[in-house]
This record gives sequence, C-alpha cells and structure tokens, in this order.
Amino acid sequence: MSRRTGIVIVFICIFAVVSAEWLGGNPPDPYSAPDPMAFGSTSGASGAICSFAPGASQ
Amino acid sequence: MSTLAVTAGVRFALLLGIGLAIGFALERFGFGFAGPWRRLILQRNGQGVMAQLVAIGLTAIAIQPLIAFAPGQMLGAIAPISLTMVLSAFVFGFAMQLIIGCGSGTLVNAGSGNLLAIVALPLFCIGSFLGTLLVPAAVAFTPHPVVSLPQTFGVWGSVGVTLAGLAVVGFIVARYTTEPLWNRKLMIAAIILAALAIVHVLVAGQPWGVVYGLGLWVAKGAVALGWDPSQAAFWTHPINAGALSASILTDTASLTSMGLIGGAALAAWHGAKDTPLWPTLKPWIFIVVALAGLMLGMSSRLAFGCNVGALFSGIASGSGHGWAWMLAGFLGSVAGVRGREWLWARASGEGA
Repeated sequence: MSRRTGIVIVFICIFAVVSAEWLGGNPPDPYSAPDPMAFGSTSGASGAICSFAPGASQ
Repeated sequence: MSTLAVTAGVRFALLLGIGLAIGFALERFGFGFAGPWRRLILQRNGQGVMAQLVAIGLTAIAIQPLIAFAPGQMLGAIAPISLTMVLSAFVFGFAMQLIIGCGSGTLVNAGSGNLLAIVALPLFCIGSFLGTLLVPAAVAFTPHPVVSLPQTFGVWGSVGVTLAGLAVVGFIVARYTTEPLWNRKLMIAAIILAALAIVHVLVAGQPWGVVYGLGLWVAKGAVALGWDPSQAAFWTHPINAGALSASILTDTASLTSMGLIGGAALAAWHGAKDTPLWPTLKPWIFIVVALAGLMLGMSSRLAFGCNVGALFSGIASGSGHGWAWMLAGFLGSVAGVRGREWLWARASGEGA
C-alpha cells in the first residue's frame, strides 16, 4: 500500500466527522452567516482562538 | 468551497480556501517548524528557522496595525504567560521532535498520507480536549499575567520590539549556523505563508490557529456520547459554548485545519503513489507516536497554542507568551531531538 491509501483514510475520517455532526442535527445556518470578511464589517472575530484563556485577564 | 459558501457562508469558504493554500504551500515548499528546529540543533543548519523568522516578521508588520486600528473586529493571539504555560511549551517542543510533527506539521503530514501522523492526529485531538478540562485549574492556581506588547509600547513600538526580537534571534542563529543562511525556496514559502496569514486575519478577524479546532471536534463527539459540558468551566464560557453548539463548518480553526490537510493531500498526491504507507519501524513505535500525539494536544492547550497559535501568531500579534513559547519550546526540542534519535535507532533495529 502506498501513502495514497493514507490520504484516502484521512479524507474518509474527516468526511465522517463532518457528516456525523451534520446528520446529528447541527448543520450550518447560511442565514446567520457573518460578513465575508471581518475587516471593515460589523461581524468581527469569533474569539474561538488557541490563545483564548478563560479566567485570565485578557 | 462553493458548496460551503452557500450552505454556511462566504467567510467560511474563504477560510477553508486559505487553509488549503497554506497546506499546499507547506507541503510543496517543505516549510515547517519542527524539522527546521531539528536541522538547526543537529546540523547547525538555520535556513528553515530564518524563513520562520521572516514569515513571522512580515506577518507582524501587517497584523499588529490591522488589529490595533480595528478594535472590536480584529483580535490578536494574546495570551498569558505562566509556569504551566512555559512547562507545556517545553513538553510540546519535546513531543513535536519525537514525531517531527508540530501543530501544522501533524496536519500536513497526515494529509500527505504519513501513517505516523495519521496515528498521532486523533490522539492530538483528544489531548487538546483533555487540555481544555485542565486550563481552568491551571489559570486558577498559578499566576497568568498577560504581556501585550501593543498595550505596553503602542502599536508601532510593539512592531519595532517584535522585529528587534526576531532580529536578535536571527543574529544568534546566524552565529550558530555553519550552513548558508538563506534558502530561496524557503524564503518564497515564508512570504507566501505570511501573505496567507495576513489574509486569514482580514477574513477571520483573528490570527491563524490549529489546536482550538482539534479540541472542539472531540468535545462535540463527547457531547454526542453524553458528556455534559456544563460541568467544564472552559466550555461554559460564552465563546466556547457558542462554538460547541455551532457547526464545525463555521469554526475558524476547524476550517483552516481541514483545509491544511486537504492542501497537503493535493500537493502530496502525485508523489504518494511511490511512497510506502508502512514505515520500516518496529510496531511499538506507534504507541510512542500515539502518546506523543496526546502530549502535543494537552500541552498545546495549556500553552495557549502550538507552534502556530502561540509561536507564529502569538509573536506576530505582539503577545509575550509567543516569546516564552519560543524559548521553552526550543529547549524542549533540544531534549526531544535526543529522544527521537534514541527511540528511532531502536525502532529501526539499529540501536537494539
């Protein structure tokens, strides 16, 4: 087997995760989508970011 | 991408596209973080590290003013410095050298069909989730001061301090290295990466990150299996609770991470045909790799980011924790490189 098999396995796993969440009743809602770009819009960053430290003074 | 634009929103399709471009560039140009640190430590080759410094510097010049002049829309990767944060960065540096896969590197390697990364990635995700359960305790029991260079020096002062700091690191690397310092291909990759990181901030309103999305995927799975997030302080915060209840197709870090895997796969597909899936290593190495993946996940959450969220985006945003991460992560890498040599010699049967 070549690494192409590994690539296919990874894609199947990602597809399974996205599908499971979607079918589990959590599809995205295009009607609540933010502006295409945060810059210059009223809908800015989500704040869900790696450096987020709840409880620390930020 | 067009399907995502219609079903979720244009911003999310753009973020997936940015992730694809980053993954493609990292794989095609051989740009990384763990590998260059290893080459600097073992071979005194600083080309990859110099490219990293250039990428971070270019990004900093653009995003610090952007974030400062668009308050409320833009958010920097500013996080606290603490004992647990520094120790965790050390552990991350150690673990990323064991498998030569950092936050972005593990995604890119998995996307290119590397079996070791494919084994490490799920444990990386689980570790990131477990780390979210430990973050509130870490914050509560150890001081976590935030050092924000833009707040301390003003935006242009912060840009100057950031560039000066990068120049000092570059000078040290230049003094240490015995190889030519500049590599044309890596410098092109650094410029591309910086451009994509800047576009990421313009679109998402916040810098590029990896670890948050990985932990979110497992948190969603845990909820589906009956876990109650209301008992976890991290996940009851409105931002995290919102991410947990929304689709992962609307989460910034999730989309760029999936894009990274896809972009790396596109770049690696042709060559992957002739590369064997199974490495010629003893099977027990997979246990080591899985444990390293777990360490990567937990430590990166407690360090408020991996090499991307803390090192790259943290320093580029003017966060003191990015600099602390760089120092601790490099020291961990020095130990990790030795650990890798020892382990791989035995796994390949050379040192048994």
